Amino acid sequence: MGHFLDNNGFLLVTLVQQALLAMSLYFPLAAGQLSLASPGFYALGGYIAAIVGTLDYFAPWRASLGWLVFPLEWLLAAAASALLALLVGIPALRLRGIYLALATIAFVEILRVLSLNLEITGGAIGIFGVPQLFESRWGYIAVFGPLLVCTLVFGHRLERSRVGRAFRAIREDELAADAMGINTTRYKVLAFVIGAVLAGVVGAMSAPFLNTWNARQGTFDASIAYLAYVLIGGSRSIWGPLFGGMLLAALPEVLRPLKDSRLIINGLVLVFASIYLPQGISGTLARFSPGKRKGALPAGEPQEDA
Amino acid sequence: MGTAQLIQNLLNGISIGSVYAIFALGYTLVFSILGIINFAHGAIFTLGAYLTYALAVGQFGINGLLSGMSLERQLPFALALLVGSVLAGAIGVLVERFAFRPLRNRGADPLLALVSSLGVALVIVNAIQYLVGAEIYTFPAGVYGELPPALMFQVSGHPVVIRTVQAIIFAVCLLILAVVGYLVRFTKFGKALRAVAENPATASLLGISVDRFILVTFFMSGFLGGTAGALVGTSFGVAGPYFGVTYGLKGLAVIVLGGLGSIPGAVLGGVVIGLSEAFVPADYGAYKEAVAFAFLFIVLLFRPQGILGRKQLQKV
Repeated sequence: MGHFLDNNGFLLVTLVQQALLAMSLYFPLAAGQLSLASPGFYALGGYIAAIVGTLDYFAPWRASLGWLVFPLEWLLAAAASALLALLVGIPALRLRGIYLALATIAFVEILRVLSLNLEITGGAIGIFGVPQLFESRWGYIAVFGPLLVCTLVFGHRLERSRVGRAFRAIREDELAADAMGINTTRYKVLAFVIGAVLAGVVGAMSAPFLNTWNARQGTFDASIAYLAYVLIGGSRSIWGPLFGGMLLAALPEVLRPLKDSRLIINGLVLVFASIYLPQGISGTLARFSPGKRKGALPAGEPQEDA
Repeated sequence: MGTAQLIQNLLNGISIGSVYAIFALGYTLVFSILGIINFAHGAIFTLGAYLTYALAVGQFGINGLLSGMSLERQLPFALALLVGSVLAGAIGVLVERFAFRPLRNRGADPLLALVSSLGVALVIVNAIQYLVGAEIYTFPAGVYGELPPALMFQVSGHPVVIRTVQAIIFAVCLLILAVVGYLVRFTKFGKALRAVAENPATASLLGISVDRFILVTFFMSGFLGGTAGALVGTSFGVAGPYFGVTYGLKGLAVIVLGGLGSIPGAVLGGVVIGLSEAFVPADYGAYKEAVAFAFLFIVLLFRPQGILGRKQLQKV
């Protein structure tokens, strides 16, 4: 077992990390908002951890706090992401559907160009030698694992709470939700901030895990990967991004024997999954076990037409 | 800024802006008919550049399945550009047939069309990498025949340079815009196209074969994307299979700026963004890439319907 973990620890932790990032896109989507901003907040969180971990200015912090500097980085990343999400979200969430998606694509690209050119982010080279929290890659499961469990519990409870019902109402029909007295702007911004904070914290945990941080961490490609995780996993419950993130992130590794053609197959999987698994994996599974999970989509319910 | 510099920036901006315009027109045609954004458009752009390179130059590098191969016959650049773009259009038709139509027929969530078109983009880009590797391909200097590499003239004592490529790009784009404009505005075909865009169900009742028009639209869109890619490729080199991604995203900024679904808007947006990039001072050259996205963000916040777009009606 130890040998297996030495060899595959990095991959296993990466699967958990990708599932978490998928969830960061799931929360806004649960309130009907297609936001592709997650990689931006993920990059922001990572840069905060990398800068606090390496810059001389923060050396006294590191010396006096010891390993406690890591949780501090997570808190800083969460706070900064929440703040930025509020700033961007309040004006951007007036937009709907594809417009919001485009605004968030622009947001990610602007952050990427900034981080490529600013001195504090290390320019095109990025930041190297981010201090490690654990000796082995596998050790990082001790931070990503609990975060995953907490997010799952949070997401699961959210679905059954007043806030979760408000999210669902907005997703089904924003005008109707508004007419019923739901403060739609407040809940949309809330959903956006939840996703942003999660992505920011995952970024702050990932910078030590990856040891280095650069502008390639927050790109349009990543936005799309996370969206694919959620839609193919199923966008109607928190289990969807879990399944989707883990399976699709594992796919390039599973296909590794195919060498150079593996990413071609990866693309084909996306096409076929969108065509043949319209409800996602979790939606399709829920169909075969009717009544087992309340709130799951019953068979034959008409598709949402956004 | 001196007069010469001003004229130089204007010329540079109009040249690259006209490529943005025809590229963005490809997005707009599909959007105006189906109301979706074809995220494989950036990959088609890349494909057009590689196809034109293969037909006009035909020398492959040291990576990929075709490493070291060279094609025996080369086409003149103009013909290579045409054939390359037609092939890109044909791939566009395949994309519609296999990635969009099955979803449309089922009335699926439009988000899924987004994912499946991105899947297609992934397939195209990685197939290119599989075949010819990730290296940079540049068109040799003699590819346009006997033309000189650049024209130079003096404005109040300072030189202004127009590269031949820039002139070719501008001329080709103008020609294409004229043809598309004529087709859409003044022919029966264009009338039918606009009818399908307005309301597919009604158009179908009036005897227009909607599926066929959608195929034609995807062909035109792929053709425009392929031409744009080939033109950018001859100007700056074909910088690896992923070089279409940035242009794909910039194209989105262009169509939103002009107004989603508006054909004149796409042209106007392209020229505005091309000019704005050309006027970014050299000291801040690295931020040029962000100009389009800054525009996109600002336009979305203050005028989501774009410059020429119609305001969306809200249902009550």
